[in-house]
Amino acid sequence: MSFWRLELLRLFRTHRIWILLGVFVSFGALGPLTARFLPEIVAAVGGGVEIAVPPASPELAMAGYLGNALQIGILAIAFVAAAALAFDSKPEMAVFLRTRASVPQILTPRYVVNMLASIFSFVVGTAIAYIGSVMLIGTPLLGGTLIATLLLSVYLVFVVALTGLAASLVRSIPGAALITVGTLIVIGVVGLIPQAEAWLPSSLVGSFDALIAGGEFDYWGPLVVTVVLSLGSIGASIALIERRET
Amino acid sequence: MTHDVVEASGITKRYGTTIALDDVSLSVRRGSVYGLVGPNGAGKTTLLGILAGLRRPTKGEFTVDARRVAVLPDAPQFDPWMKAREVVDLSFNLALPGGDSAAVDLVLARTGLLDVAHRRVGGFSRGMLQRLGLAAAVVGDPELLLLDEPAAALDPAGRREVLDMVNDLRGDSTVIFSSHILDDVEAVCDEIGILSKGQIIYEGTLDDLVRGSSHLPSYRVVVRGSGDSLVTVLGSCDWVTDVIADGRSVIVTAATSAVIEQELVPCLAACDAAIVSVAPVERSLEDVFLEVTQ
Repeated sequence: MSFWRLELLRLFRTHRIWILLGVFVSFGALGPLTARFLPEIVAAVGGGVEIAVPPASPELAMAGYLGNALQIGILAIAFVAAAALAFDSKPEMAVFLRTRASVPQILTPRYVVNMLASIFSFVVGTAIAYIGSVMLIGTPLLGGTLIATLLLSVYLVFVVALTGLAASLVRSIPGAALITVGTLIVIGVVGLIPQAEAWLPSSLVGSFDALIAGGEFDYWGPLVVTVVLSLGSIGASIALIERRET
Repeated sequence: MTHDVVEASGITKRYGTTIALDDVSLSVRRGSVYGLVGPNGAGKTTLLGILAGLRRPTKGEFTVDARRVAVLPDAPQFDPWMKAREVVDLSFNLALPGGDSAAVDLVLARTGLLDVAHRRVGGFSRGMLQRLGLAAAVVGDPELLLLDEPAAALDPAGRREVLDMVNDLRGDSTVIFSSHILDDVEAVCDEIGILSKGQIIYEGTLDDLVRGSSHLPSYRVVVRGSGDSLVTVLGSCDWVTDVIADGRSVIVTAATSAVIEQELVPCLAACDAAIVSVAPVERSLEDVFLEVTQ
């Protein structure tokens, strides 16, 4: 038994991987379906009132998937990652780990496994949305989808890293998850300022729609900032937890 | 390699205005079993936490000359979805990577957990968790083992097994054993440190503690019939500091053991009481503990 196997077991035995996959896969399936049948759905529930809906398009299907999946998905990722990264939440458990391994030894597999699980779930959900769109509506731009998926994966890495930092500030699992979500909301609000928008990690979320619609790649700034913030969060979390008493 | 595994000097630990440890100094010999004794809230867990590197002292210095240190908290917990064998196996691999994993089964058997090794620990009782914690602690062949109330949640048989394990570790590992169960301390410890209100008020062997307490030596004289007349005779002796009748017994106290050993028997021979038995009053560790901590 190693820390790496421990983290894989944690994901599967606690069913957390299925929660992550469930969120992204379900929205991946629903995105194209909703986009394809939106006129029929609106007509059925409209009660005779005529509501104009945009025609179904691959871009609409993918955007619908991402908009819904990210809202719930980030919440799920924050709670799943917090449950692994806030290992000091129960001091008696922390004693077992801290007297046998260094904080980087304990945290590295937790960060990596949770990042990979989040990315994997997102990629599977995106693939299902893509295939569903191809089958029901039309083929989204493959290159744009791939690049957008890559950028969003970096953003999810940032979400997990931020959760780790939150877990180094508070011991509670819900506390760490809620601080993460709150910080992401604040970053989103700050992103409303045009000068800041081009540099913030939240721009990577916005890149999805633009790149799938064939937009130019203009995200080096937020990409670099997100990577730097992720590394900084991980480093800070390790330093803070090393200083924290059990 | 020094003779002492643990050397602590002037350790003070404050939590805000609360002083958990106050100028604590202690030394623990390599291969010995050291009992850290004290009432609840005396600072035992804080001191063990500092020695384990889990807490930092506010003041003072300490050295721990051991590469592998294992700690058993008083209420060990593990991820409930882990199986007992996985807990011990993880502990083994972290302590002795690449070692012979047969040790895992041996320790599970030794702690009585082999039959439940495949079960998830979420369903374990507190006693089983304590056994599992002990198994995880000893499987890595620790040079220093810090046990915080290791037998507190165990039934009498389990307690005996834990004490036997600690006895077996003597010589190979150094054990610091915190407890307020004095019988356990008496059974396994070579030396003890008594912590009271954050201070070490005694450090040494149990024998020295009992012998060196402020209690004056006493003998119990059992007589046939009433002991009142013997009380009168002994009360008139100038070497007697105290004499009380307790039914058919008379308890006589003197300033020193030498005096009472020299004077008591001639004095008894001179009076006409029918003596059934004469024996020193043995003091338990509990008596001495209560005396020094109050």
